[in-house]
Amino acid sequence: MRKINKINSSRRNFLAGSATVAGAAAAASVMPISIANANHTDGGAKGLPSWTGWKKRSALIIHSDKGMETHRDAIGNSVITPLRHVYIRNNMPTMSDAQIGNRNNWKLKVEGVKKPKTYTLAQLKQLAQTTEATILQCSGNGRGFFAHKPRGSQWKTGAAACLIWTGCPVSAIIKDCGGLASGAKFLTATGADMPAKLDPKKALVERSIPIKAQKDALVAWEVNGVNIPNSHGGPLRMVTPGYFGINNVKHVGKLAFTAKESSVKYMKSSYRISPIGKKGSQYPSCWEMPVKSWIVSPLKSAKSGNVVVSGVAMGGTKKVSSIKVSVDGGKKWQKAKFTGPDMGKFAWRRFVFETKLKPGSYKIVSKASAGGKSQPKLRMENRRGYAHNGWLDHGVDIKVS
Amino acid sequence: MVLILKFRNILFATLFIVSITSSHSWGDVMKQGLQIFNEKAGCAACHVLKHAGSQGNIGPNLDMSKDSKNVAYVKDMVQNGLGVMPAFGEDGILTPAEVDIVSKYVAKVAGK
Repeated sequence: MRKINKINSSRRNFLAGSATVAGAAAAASVMPISIANANHTDGGAKGLPSWTGWKKRSALIIHSDKGMETHRDAIGNSVITPLRHVYIRNNMPTMSDAQIGNRNNWKLKVEGVKKPKTYTLAQLKQLAQTTEATILQCSGNGRGFFAHKPRGSQWKTGAAACLIWTGCPVSAIIKDCGGLASGAKFLTATGADMPAKLDPKKALVERSIPIKAQKDALVAWEVNGVNIPNSHGGPLRMVTPGYFGINNVKHVGKLAFTAKESSVKYMKSSYRISPIGKKGSQYPSCWEMPVKSWIVSPLKSAKSGNVVVSGVAMGGTKKVSSIKVSVDGGKKWQKAKFTGPDMGKFAWRRFVFETKLKPGSYKIVSKASAGGKSQPKLRMENRRGYAHNGWLDHGVDIKVS
Repeated sequence: MVLILKFRNILFATLFIVSITSSHSWGDVMKQGLQIFNEKAGCAACHVLKHAGSQGNIGPNLDMSKDSKNVAYVKDMVQNGLGVMPAFGEDGILTPAEVDIVSKYVAKVAGK
């Protein structure tokens, strides 16, 4: 299985055309109308769905009640994204308090180890703890820039956030379970959020990532200093540093160390980076995130004279090493400086670039490097609009007056 | 200028109505669309749509999504599916005519 950043080298080899997603069976036709307890029927305060009404409406673009994007200038300048501003992308309905029950009694089943066990959240808290800053980024972040308009939410930059998680390291769980069973090649996490009457093969959120990711992974109960809200996958969420959002399975109920990737649709056919017009499990899965950056200020206009360009840069699974900015659409690049705390290779760095600009129009772009690789100029064309890290589309057109 | 704009709007509206009524009347579309939504396709099990009285919560609330008012977008989704949503057209769950009708129905009533 190739990694996402490897496919970038052949990014322009994909063919143009149209494609479809394989459909699931019409299980819906025999299901009752109301399935879960969470109330999804009213618009909630200020246009937010009631189950996540605590969010800050003005920080969000509402694509649907299952897809809410952070405005480009709403990630803030403090490295860590305020929780009320963080995007929402749900494959399954958010679990309600009634479904979750007592958070400390939440269960995590562990398989594929020498001594399989089931832990309660309270037991995990006593086993071991770690705290890590990581980027949560939807695989389709940047889909809104693709010319062929792939189906799905048209995210630009705001399906991404930098967050601090506290939880139990997966490595500690493996050790406590006597080590890995033989033949384990993947870390497979399963969500407990699928309504019972759906078909697991088609609807279960179960994701497998290479076993090497276990050394950085954790099962988290806290984010940015609070219990993980239900709408972000509480009380327990898989956190896979450096990997796309879908692998950070919400409401995680099972960890399995498996010889093969999961065979459910969300692993086998969804989230595959295939050429436009093609699909299938032979294409790379949305796993490791590639190097990427984008400007958050200014976004439209600036006063002439000293102009401070700022943004964020990330390295995916590698530490971001440098960031360059161009005010002429990529003809001439200058080094920008990182500012703010370095919260480790899985967090993004905030960058600033101070320049003097005369009145006029400018195309300001940024280009990050990590692990010896820099962002490509163009997007990697693909059917579903995944993994966009091209610097040109992420640039901003600024009028200086 | 205002008159020209009004005339243009009336022209577009007329063309739109003619295009709809050429195969089905709006009454047919609404009646059959509602029936497909709630029964044959079972959209109601997974989506909120106030007009249909449905409260499913697997997929997006169709009254809250601006894409739901775009008939081409809805038709594409019904035809091809997405994520857990079945490909009603591609998999032959609905006939092409039914895909067309239910898509027009959803786009017409979403958010109302």
